[in-house]
Amino acid sequence: MSLPMAFYDVYSHPALIRYKTSVCSKATLFLAVVLCLTYISPLLVAYRSQGFWLKRSTYEEQPVVRFQYQTLLVAATNTQGDYVAWSTFPHLNNMLGANLRIPAVSVREEDQNQDGKLDFLNFQLQLPLKPEEQVYSVQLLLTFSYKLFRMSTVVMQSLAYVQHSSSVPGAKLFISGDLRLLQRTPLPHRGLYNIYNVSVIDGSSPFASAYDLDNIIRSYQDRNLTTMLSCPMPVWTVGRAAGSPFQLNAEIRYPMEVISYRPGFWETIKYAWIQYVSVLLIFLWVFERIQRFVFQNQVLTTVPIPVGKPHLS
Amino acid sequence: MAVTATVLFVLFTVVTTNKNTTSNNLNTKVGDQNVTYNFMENYTTTQPTEFDSTSPTPSSSSTEEPVQPTVPAKPLPASGRLLTPVTNVDSVCPCDKHKDVCDINCCCDRVCSEEVALFPSCSVDKISGKKMLCSRHVASYSLGSTMDGYSELQSSVRKETNYDIFCIQSQNRVDGLSHPSPALPTDSSFDSLFKELTSFIFGSEETSGQVSSAELQASSGYQYGDVMMTAGERGMFMLPAAAVTADCIDNSPAAFLKDQSSGCSRHVILEQDCGALPALSMDTYTNIQIFAGKNKDAELEVVPVEVASVVLQSVDGTQTELKISGGGNVNPVLLNPSLCAHVVLKVVYMMKYNPAGEIVNVSVSLLLGFVREGELSLEQKFHITFVQEDGEEVAVHYSGNPGYVVGLPLVSGTRIAEGFARSMDPRDTLSLLHSAEDQDCLQGTHQRSPVLFALDSVSGCTLRLEDTANCSLVFQLLLDVLRGPNHAQYVASFGNSPLDSPIDWVPIKNNFNPGEAHICSIPLSLHLEIEWIKYGSLVNPQAQIVSITEVIQTNTTRLDVLSGSSSTLSIMSSVAFIPVSSTALPGYRATPTINGKLPFDFFFPFV
Repeated sequence: MSLPMAFYDVYSHPALIRYKTSVCSKATLFLAVVLCLTYISPLLVAYRSQGFWLKRSTYEEQPVVRFQYQTLLVAATNTQGDYVAWSTFPHLNNMLGANLRIPAVSVREEDQNQDGKLDFLNFQLQLPLKPEEQVYSVQLLLTFSYKLFRMSTVVMQSLAYVQHSSSVPGAKLFISGDLRLLQRTPLPHRGLYNIYNVSVIDGSSPFASAYDLDNIIRSYQDRNLTTMLSCPMPVWTVGRAAGSPFQLNAEIRYPMEVISYRPGFWETIKYAWIQYVSVLLIFLWVFERIQRFVFQNQVLTTVPIPVGKPHLS
Repeated sequence: MAVTATVLFVLFTVVTTNKNTTSNNLNTKVGDQNVTYNFMENYTTTQPTEFDSTSPTPSSSSTEEPVQPTVPAKPLPASGRLLTPVTNVDSVCPCDKHKDVCDINCCCDRVCSEEVALFPSCSVDKISGKKMLCSRHVASYSLGSTMDGYSELQSSVRKETNYDIFCIQSQNRVDGLSHPSPALPTDSSFDSLFKELTSFIFGSEETSGQVSSAELQASSGYQYGDVMMTAGERGMFMLPAAAVTADCIDNSPAAFLKDQSSGCSRHVILEQDCGALPALSMDTYTNIQIFAGKNKDAELEVVPVEVASVVLQSVDGTQTELKISGGGNVNPVLLNPSLCAHVVLKVVYMMKYNPAGEIVNVSVSLLLGFVREGELSLEQKFHITFVQEDGEEVAVHYSGNPGYVVGLPLVSGTRIAEGFARSMDPRDTLSLLHSAEDQDCLQGTHQRSPVLFALDSVSGCTLRLEDTANCSLVFQLLLDVLRGPNHAQYVASFGNSPLDSPIDWVPIKNNFNPGEAHICSIPLSLHLEIEWIKYGSLVNPQAQIVSITEVIQTNTTRLDVLSGSSSTLSIMSSVAFIPVSSTALPGYRATPTINGKLPFDFFFPFV
């Protein structure tokens, strides 16, 4: 009964073997092909699997919004189409003549979380009405100054438009919504973007066409970057008492926005590099195995020279 | 474990003494529930130096003397001086809103010692100092109940320890946790502060002086877009237009050199307005004296408005020109309680100007008509055009130069001996029937709308079967209605085709041959099929019409079968624009030897 001798790896080291060949040989050709396959195929794989070049990315930012204290209000006072209107534009008010009805307006903008950015606009309007008048529809335009700073600096003047009509005369319209940013194209990743820093309503114009709602909305909607008042649930309260004004209360929040932008050169390269290298690692491993098999087994004729044995005899 | 936050002591710039030591460390914060108040500074006007050294926590909170600014200008009287912050928690009571009157449910109100028995709960039950400090003072108020069921106040001030590892052990930076004190406005700094702090306010809009920029210019003539001055009381030349609603706004001025057409509606009550409303009377639009230039100082000649023509439109729509003798005007008359005559329906001004920007001549054409009671609103149309002094009265309008422009009318003409003839009026061209309110093909005058380039359209009218007794007559009538009064034979292939070059005109092909007469055959539809191509360079292609076909469909079955039982037939006219240009292809002059097949965005960020 003999115990087997217990052997274990006490030490190991890799041995380097050089394979020599001439320049014009099959082995050289093989090496060239392998190199090409190793480094170019990952590029093709990464590209063909989509999303290699990052073309659109998003970030989150709360905009710096200020109400510009520009208002335009139109209210239909009967079903025949008589109306009263008011604006903060003196030219329009002069033109309105007998249809001008000056309401009582109070506005408060609030920074609720004390971060230096305004979060909330409370707009209250009381429209006095004559005994024979009732409010059937309301159109309200408010303008805002809208700024973004994180990637590209965006400065623009924007619009919130409220339109509500009802077949029943109302006493009150309550609107609570968000001022959302709408983008048709992504923003640039840096620089100043101020092409829309122009008045939405040209208040200095004495011409009636400047205050035509069609024209205002048409030119505004031409923009790539707009804001929209998203108010899915306006509340129209009916039953106005005689002598009491029509009330319009609007609560508009300035929420955090997800803004899409076109990444810059280095961001695009960074994401492409990550994808390329992660695919390349697999190819390097695979082709390393193939090369070792080919040269170890002398599939292609080469001269192996083991090195690392300085004391041969 | 508390990390001591040692912040560099920053000297206050305007310190008068070295007395401002570690300062007010209480912080106002509205808690999650409204019952907890973390608060920092309470500016009270009644007791500005309230707490002195009675504070139970003298170690970390002491007072700061009100800092008097040492700026040379004195503060404005209304601004006063800033109040001293109160920083000890037991002397602060945010719910105490009535002086010397107990506030309901306000347990910290000192005058509430008696009424506390009636309170169900405390609206503020905790007042604490700054949360970031490692130890802070908390005043808490709660209600217990006595034996007989009444509430009794239990208040305490105690020291709370904050176990956050990043709490502040001691704070020596004066303004680290509080708002910086604002610069007190002075006489000299008020305007700049006001401008800085009030970017958007009510009342910041422009004043009404609208011609200020125009007055700065030295030239005496008008510039493009200027308001034109009149000698009357209104001061400006007005052209009514619609603004926020479709209603006419009479105070809208017209702009120099801006051609403008507007239509607007006017609500009229005939008994009151027929003779009295100025906007209905032609006097308002003709009795105007316009200053030739805008420079009021020089003796400017005044240009009166000349009446070029007055056209009367009768009740059924026929128009006759009215001869006015001796410059007399026709004013609106109430013919009977529901009909007002001679009301202005359309006003067309034509202004002639010279290169100096002066108005040379103003003429007006008016359309007068009737208004009935019960109509919703009266629609008025206003039009103003500017023509050069020595130019022709009506210039030939191109519909594109050279290619057609989308939305402009097609140019049509008729063949004459020396070329082609076309109408000067751009709207007098190939046209479609325009749907009218009475819908009958054979009755009334038919409005027509011109065929506009690249706009496909359809319209129609109805034909009652009992009108088709005389088949051949109805056939001819319908054909005339569908084709319009002046039936063109040629269409210009470009928007500016010259009248004397036949190759630029495309004949209207017609595949219509009247069928055999065994059944009553009438045209049911007229369809214009216009084929056009893009011509010229890729970056600036010009639209060219290459062929136009008129397709007239007639019925092949009996009309009463076709109409079913409804006894009316719908007659349609339509137009279709078909782009037939072959799509532009990128090409090389010589075929490149290497045809790289990499996708277009393979090297996207590099190229």
